[in-house]
Amino acid sequence: MAREPAAPPPSDRPEQGARPGADERAEPAERYGPVALARHVKDDGRALLLFTRAEREPT
Amino acid sequence: VSDRSKSGQRFDELRGEQVVYAIHRQERTFLPSREHCPLDPTRPGGPQTEIPFPSFEIAVFDNRFPAFETPLGAAEVVVYTDQHDGSFGTLAPERAEALMWVWRHRYMELGAREDIDYVMIFENRGVEVGVTLHHPHGQIYGYPFLPPVPALQLAADERLGGCAPCLLMGGELKDGRRLLHENDAVVAYIPYAARWAYEAHVTLREHRPSLLDCEPEELRLLSSALQAVVRGYDALFERPFPYVMVVHQAPTAAGAGAGGPGAGAGSPGAGARGAERRGAGGHLHVEFYPPLRTAEKLKYLAGSEQGAGTFISDTLPEESAAALREAIARAA
Repeated sequence: MAREPAAPPPSDRPEQGARPGADERAEPAERYGPVALARHVKDDGRALLLFTRAEREPT
Repeated sequence: VSDRSKSGQRFDELRGEQVVYAIHRQERTFLPSREHCPLDPTRPGGPQTEIPFPSFEIAVFDNRFPAFETPLGAAEVVVYTDQHDGSFGTLAPERAEALMWVWRHRYMELGAREDIDYVMIFENRGVEVGVTLHHPHGQIYGYPFLPPVPALQLAADERLGGCAPCLLMGGELKDGRRLLHENDAVVAYIPYAARWAYEAHVTLREHRPSLLDCEPEELRLLSSALQAVVRGYDALFERPFPYVMVVHQAPTAAGAGAGGPGAGAGSPGAGARGAERRGAGGHLHVEFYPPLRTAEKLKYLAGSEQGAGTFISDTLPEESAAALREAIARAA
């Protein structure tokens, strides 16, 4: 599966607002075109992806 | 269908098609109060929602009440915004463009799975089409088989001797009477043989089997055209316009495409890779099926539609297109 290079998250806003215990299994954000995504696992095991528009190019 | 918490399939031999039984969906959240919307962000002191963060831009998660799930498919929810009110049409253009990349990402990842033969991105809008949550959102189903409608569209390629959406879009451009909206990458029209009064097809000008084959500018222009159509719908009768919106793309089953869903994932050169995949079947286009035939009257699927499979339409596509074209221009 092809994937564009991962990059540092352009924004850490979601992580800052995480509820205690809700984000223990979060993985570092990835870059996909103009968006960044952070992968999380919900308490019941379901996947949750949060996408943010990445205004900055990865450094 | 022995485990009542899991979906199951039965094959209808008489019609030659799969039927999915997802009986656990009977218990899914149904039109909750605004204060208990599960697609809102989880605010401090508020009820826990599906998204345990106080704000977000676009969220995708596994459906709590899935029609399909691993290892036989997938069902995801795509939440367009953390704002409860609004619609796809009222998103900021940048957010709508980002949504195209989210769709593309999910098509890539779900389509790469061995158990998924067809990825369908869609949105149901309005209680008239069965919406149970008003928060702006769509869904994605990963089917473990090729469903009948995309199979029929692939058969149209064979019947017409080429890419059917390419040929049909060419005919609409030449005729002109049913065109709704155009930009450099996308053409929107009511098809010659539309079944719904205000059915609209939004088609990429270039042959692009899927979102993966699109250049970034094409994705931006696709989002722009989709928003133009939806805003026109709302302007047509000056009311929120219910619809089903479906993204049609190439099947992702092994053998369905030469390149597979990951083949065109990059931005530079994606068009060239898309060209290599011609013949795989499928041409990215978005179809809208709105049930309204007037401001107050719905089209129902009744005797002929259900018993014979033949739509009886009360309107002419050319006349509907003229009205919707004017509404799109008015809403721009």
